[in-house]
Amino acid sequence: MSTNASEIQTDPILVSVISNRLDAISKEIGQTMLRTSRSPIFSEARDFATGVFDHRLHLLAQTAYIPVLMGSLPSALHSIASAFEGDIAEGDVFVLNDPYRGNNHPPDVTVAKPVFYQGRLCFWAVSKGHHADVGGGGVVGYNPAARSVWEECVRIPPAKLMVAGKRNKALWDMILLNVRMPWLVEADLECQMGACTVGERSLRALIAKYGMPVLEDAADRMLDASDRQMRAALRNVPNGTYRAERFLDHDGINKAQMIGLRLALTVRDESIHFDWSESDAQVAGYVNSTLSNTISASFQAIFMTVCADVRYNDGALRALSVHAPAGSIVNSLEPAPVTTCTVVTAEAIVEAVWLALAQAVPERVYAGWGRWLAPSSMGMNPVTQRHFGDIHFMAKSGGGAAKGFDGWDHMGTVITAGGLRSPDPELHELVNPYRVLEYEYWTDSAGPGKWRGGMGTSYRYRVEADGIAAVNFGGGVNEETRPYGLMGGLPAPKSRAVLYRSDGSAQEIDTQSFFNLQRGDEVHLYVTGGGGYGDPHERDRARIEADIADGLVTPEQARQNYGVK
Amino acid sequence: MGIRVGVDVGGTFTDFLVKDDQGAAKVYKTSTTPEDPTIGFFNGLSKAAESVGLSLEEWLRQVETIVHGTTITTNAVLTGEGAVTGFVTTAGFRDVLNMRRGLKERQFSIYAPPPQLVPRRLIAVANERVTADGAVATPLNEDDVRQAAALFREAGVEAVAVSYLWSFLNGQHERRTKEILEEELPGVYISLSTEILPQIRVYERHSTTALNSYVGPVLNRYLSRLQTRLQDFGFTGKLLIMQSNGGVMSPEVAQRFASNTLLSGPAGAPQAGIYYGAPHGFRNLITVDMGGTSFDVALVRNGLPSVTTEGSIGGHRVASPSLDIHTIGSGGGSIAWVDDGGLMHVGPKSAGASPGPACYGRGGKLPTVTDANYVLGYLDFAGGELTLNGGEARRAIEEYLAKPLGLSVVDAAHGVYQVVNADMAAAIAVVSVQRGYDPREFVLVVAGGAGPVHAGPIARELEIPLIQIPRESSVFCAAGMLLSDLKHDYVHTYAREFGSVVLEDVAAIYQNIVNTAVKTLETENVSADQVVIKYSADLRYIGQFNEVEVPAFDHGDFSAAALLTLTNEFHRRHDELYGYSTPASPVEIINLRVSALGVTEKPIADTHVLQGTDPSAARTGWRMAWHEGDWVETPVYEGLRLFNGNIVPGPAIVVQPTTSILVPSDFELCCDIGNNYLMYRKGEDVAELIRKLSTGESQ
Repeated sequence: MSTNASEIQTDPILVSVISNRLDAISKEIGQTMLRTSRSPIFSEARDFATGVFDHRLHLLAQTAYIPVLMGSLPSALHSIASAFEGDIAEGDVFVLNDPYRGNNHPPDVTVAKPVFYQGRLCFWAVSKGHHADVGGGGVVGYNPAARSVWEECVRIPPAKLMVAGKRNKALWDMILLNVRMPWLVEADLECQMGACTVGERSLRALIAKYGMPVLEDAADRMLDASDRQMRAALRNVPNGTYRAERFLDHDGINKAQMIGLRLALTVRDESIHFDWSESDAQVAGYVNSTLSNTISASFQAIFMTVCADVRYNDGALRALSVHAPAGSIVNSLEPAPVTTCTVVTAEAIVEAVWLALAQAVPERVYAGWGRWLAPSSMGMNPVTQRHFGDIHFMAKSGGGAAKGFDGWDHMGTVITAGGLRSPDPELHELVNPYRVLEYEYWTDSAGPGKWRGGMGTSYRYRVEADGIAAVNFGGGVNEETRPYGLMGGLPAPKSRAVLYRSDGSAQEIDTQSFFNLQRGDEVHLYVTGGGGYGDPHERDRARIEADIADGLVTPEQARQNYGVK
Repeated sequence: MGIRVGVDVGGTFTDFLVKDDQGAAKVYKTSTTPEDPTIGFFNGLSKAAESVGLSLEEWLRQVETIVHGTTITTNAVLTGEGAVTGFVTTAGFRDVLNMRRGLKERQFSIYAPPPQLVPRRLIAVANERVTADGAVATPLNEDDVRQAAALFREAGVEAVAVSYLWSFLNGQHERRTKEILEEELPGVYISLSTEILPQIRVYERHSTTALNSYVGPVLNRYLSRLQTRLQDFGFTGKLLIMQSNGGVMSPEVAQRFASNTLLSGPAGAPQAGIYYGAPHGFRNLITVDMGGTSFDVALVRNGLPSVTTEGSIGGHRVASPSLDIHTIGSGGGSIAWVDDGGLMHVGPKSAGASPGPACYGRGGKLPTVTDANYVLGYLDFAGGELTLNGGEARRAIEEYLAKPLGLSVVDAAHGVYQVVNADMAAAIAVVSVQRGYDPREFVLVVAGGAGPVHAGPIARELEIPLIQIPRESSVFCAAGMLLSDLKHDYVHTYAREFGSVVLEDVAAIYQNIVNTAVKTLETENVSADQVVIKYSADLRYIGQFNEVEVPAFDHGDFSAAALLTLTNEFHRRHDELYGYSTPASPVEIINLRVSALGVTEKPIADTHVLQGTDPSAARTGWRMAWHEGDWVETPVYEGLRLFNGNIVPGPAIVVQPTTSILVPSDFELCCDIGNNYLMYRKGEDVAELIRKLSTGESQ
C-alpha cells in the first residue's frame, strides 16, 4: 500500500476493466434495494439511486432508476464527510435527509457506508431513496400547507446510524418515534444499509485484487476519459447563449400565482453554464428547490439529450457549471419548505433546459413530457389492519416526442426518464384500501405532431376505508404548464383530478392541496400525454389511421389537428 | 434402449448428437434452414443414417427418442411474425399489456419502444370483476365476449388470450369466456391466464398469456409438419420438445403451452454440464456457452440448475419459470471499439456471420474478438472451411484500436482479450456472487466455438479452481437435451401472512396441482414410479414487493414444523442474497409452486481406457502465440488424438474440429475418462481438485 501513486501507470485496458467493475457494483447495490425494500415507493416504483465514491469523494459510478436523484448524491456525501471529518470509522453507517445540509429533499433519505480496507478508508457505498414516511405534517412527506421545513419532516442532519458496527440506538429511537410507520422506515433503512454492505463486499474484493494505488490511478484516468467524452459530445452543440422560461402552477399557498424559472444556457467551447439568475424569488410553499436539486435536474436534462452515452461521474460533470442565486426559487434559503422540488421544480428546470437547447440542437431534444399530477395518501387499511402510505404511481404521464420518434406511452414525469415502474394493480389492492376501476390510456391526451407525444393515463379508484388523508401534488393544470410542443408540434392537454363523493357530488381537486377520503369516494386522475414534435399535418397517414383505429386519437382530433377530412 | 437423438436448431447451424445403446456418441451439424427448419432437421437425420449405411426409414425405425430444441417461437417474437392475436381483459384495464409497466429500458437514449404483441384495436374488454378476496363483484357480461369474438372474426385473428384481474383466485369468468369464444370462433387457438400462469401481478400474467397465444399457432403448425414427416419416414419413437425450464415435454403438451419454449434455446446447457460432470461427481457447476454474438451463463447447484421467473423476450415478460441463464453480448463476433474518452469496450454490437470478423475476409472492417484472438496466435481457423486473413485482422485492430489508444497492435489485441474476459467474468459473477454463491466452489464448464480460448483467464479472475471442456462442446445444448427429464412447473397464488396460513388449504392446493401434474405426465407415458414432485413457495417479509423462492414441504409434509423450517430457510436465503435478514419481521407466503418431473432413462456415459500422461503423439507443430507479454513458441496439439490421462502443460493450444482451447502458461490440461478436458492451475493435484469439488453440498 506504500507505492507512490504517481509512479503508477494504469494501462487504458485496465482502466476500462475497472470502470466496468465499478458500474457493476453500483448496479448490484441498486438490485439489492429493489428486491428487499418494504415500501412500494422503493421496490415497485424504484424511486431511488445508488452510487460509488472514492475516499476523495469523487463520484465514480452510479445507478439511477430515477435520474433526478443522482445529481444530488455528491452534495449529500460531501455534507456527511465534512460533518464527520476525522470521525469516520470502520463499521460506521451515516444517514442524512436535511435539505439544507446537502440533501435534495427530505423524503429521499441518504445512507452512506464508508468502505475500509486494512484500516484505511478507501470508498463510499451510497444509497438514496424515497421513504414512505419522514414525519412532519404531510402525507408521505408532502405537506402543501408547510411554510417551513420543520413542518415537512423530521430533520436528520448528517448522523451515524451505526457506530463502529453497532446500532446507534438513540438516533434510531429518535427517528422511529417521529414517524407514523416506524416498521416501514426501519425496514427500509435496514434495506439501504444492507445494499451498501453488498457494495462494500464487492469493493473490498476489488481492492484486494488491484490495490488502492492502482484503483486510484485508474479512477483518475476513468474520470479524465469521461471528461473527454463529455466534451466530445458537447462539441456538437453550437456556441451561444440560449434563453428559456417555464412556470410552476403555484406553491400551494398563493394559489393564484405562477412562479417563473428563467434560464440563460451558455455553450462555450465544450462546456455548458446554466445561469438561473433571472428566476423568481423563493416562495412560501413547498415548491422551492434546493441547490442540490437544481444542479441535479439541470444535468439530467443534458444527459437525456446531448450526451446520452457519457458515463455519469465526476469527470463528466467538469464541463458543467450552475449558477442559482441564493434566495431564489432554484436555491432557497433555510428554512423554506422544499419537498415537491424533485418533482415540480425539477420538471420545469428540465423543460427550460430543453427549450434553450432546442434553439441550438432541436434534433436532439424532446417535446415536453407530461408533468406529474397524482396524490399521496395514508391511513389505516381495515383489511390488513395496518397503516399504509403510498403514492398513486399508476397515474403516469406520456413522454414527449422527438425527431423521428413518437413519445413513449405511460412513462411518468420526466424526472424519472422512464425508470419509474408502474405498480402492479393487484399488489396495490392487497396493501392499500383502494379498488382500481380504470387504468387505461387517456384518449386524445397526446400532443399532436409529425411525431406525437406518448399517451397519458386515465386512472380511477374507489376508496374502501374511512379517514384517509391525501395530498394531490404536481402540476400541469394550467395552459402555461402543460407539455409544450416542439418544431411545430402541439402541446398536450392540461391534467385534471376529479373527486366523486359517495353522495354523488363531484369536485375538481387542485394541485398542491390536501383532501380527505371516505369509503365509497372515487378519484379520477386524467394525467396528460407528451407534447408533439413537428407539424402534425406532416404525420404519416398510416400512423394517424392506426391511432384512430386503436382509439388513441378520436376522429374529431384527427380532423382538428391532423387535417384529416 | 434404442438410439437417442438430440436436435438443437440454432441461428446458423442445427446440431445433432446421436447416442447409440452402447453410449457411443456421434456429432453432426447441418445448416439451419430458417424458411422451414424441418428441412435442416431431416438433412441432419439423413446424414446420421447415411453414416451407418442405412436409409432414413431403416435408421429411424431404430430411433427410440428424439429430443428437439426449437427456436421457432423465439424467432416469431423477435421478428414480429407470430399469430394475429386478440386479447380479452377486464373493462378498465385495456392497456396494461401494452404499458409494459411503463418502463423505458435505456433511460437516456432516444429510440422506439419494442413492437406490441397485440395492437390496441385487437384488445377487447369485458365487464366483469373479481375482487382481491376472490369474490365476484361484477358478473361476466357475455355480450361483451361475443362482441369481442365478432371483432376478432372480422380481423382474421388466429389466436386469443384471455386474462382478467384476480382470475387466479376465481377462474370462472375466464373459463366461461373460453366456452363462448370456442363457440364463436371454432378452431382459434385460445390461452387462459388461469391455465398458463395463475399468479398475482397483472402485466406479467397478461404478457405470458398473450405470448402463449402469439406463438401457439406457429408452434402448432411447425410441430404437426414435423410429426407428419417423421411418421412418413416410419418413426414410431417418442418426440420430445425442449422447454425454457430445462425440462422436456410431449408435442401435445407443447401445443397448449407454447410459451414454455420461448427461452429454450440455451436451456440444454446446464443439463449438459451435469452430464459431463457426472463421471467425476460434480454437482456444482457454472456452464458458459460463448458463440458468435453472445455469452450465456447458468449456474447449477447441488445438481439443480437455477430457475428464474424474470425472463423476457423482445421486451415482453415471460413470467413462467425458466432456467436462470444470464446473457451478455460478448461473442467471437463482438466488435471492439474505443469511446470518445479513450476507453475500450467490446460489444454488444456484433459483426455476426456476415460480414463477420475482419479476418474472415468477407468485407468486415471492424475489429472483433475473433480478430484479436487470431492476432494473438490463439486461433488459425474458425471452424469449417474458412481460411483466415491475418492482414485484415491486424489492419482492423491497428486502425480502430491501436492508433486511438496509442498501443501496439498486439497490445491492443491483448486489450480486447482482457476486456472481453473481464466482461464475461462479470457476467458469471451476476449468477454466482450476486446470488450469494462463491464461484470457487464451482466447476466452470465451457462450451461454444469461442469459449475455450477464454476459459483460463476467466477462471483465474474468479478463482474458479477447475475448468471442464467437453470434447463435443460445440453441440453442448443438443447433448443437454438428451439428458433432460420431462418437467412441468405449476404456480398457485396463496397470499397469506404466516400467522393465518391454513395448512389444510395449502395441502389441498398442492394436492390439486399434483393431480394435474400427474395427469399431464400420464399423457406423456410416464409411469407413477418415474414421477418426482418438488414443492416450493415464494416468501417475503410483509411489505416487501419481491419474493424469494424457497424449497418447501419435503415429501408433502404440511405440518406446522415444516412451515417453521420454511421460514428459517427463507431468512437464511434472504441473508445470503441481500446481505441481511430480519428474523423478527413477519413473513408472508405469496405463491405455492410445484415442479413435477417425469424422470427419463439417461444414456450411458462414454468411457475410455487410461492411456498415460504423455501427449506428444498428438502434437502437430508449433506456433507463435502471445503469453505474458511476449511471443512464445507454443506447441499445438490435435484434440482428437488426445486420450484419457494425457496431460498438456501450458502454454499450449489444443485444436478441435470446431474450436481451439488455449492452455495459458500457468495452467495445464488433462484428458479425462470421457475424453473430455479438465484444465486447472499448474501445481494443483487434479485428483484432489476433483475430490474437493465433487464432495459436499454447496452452501
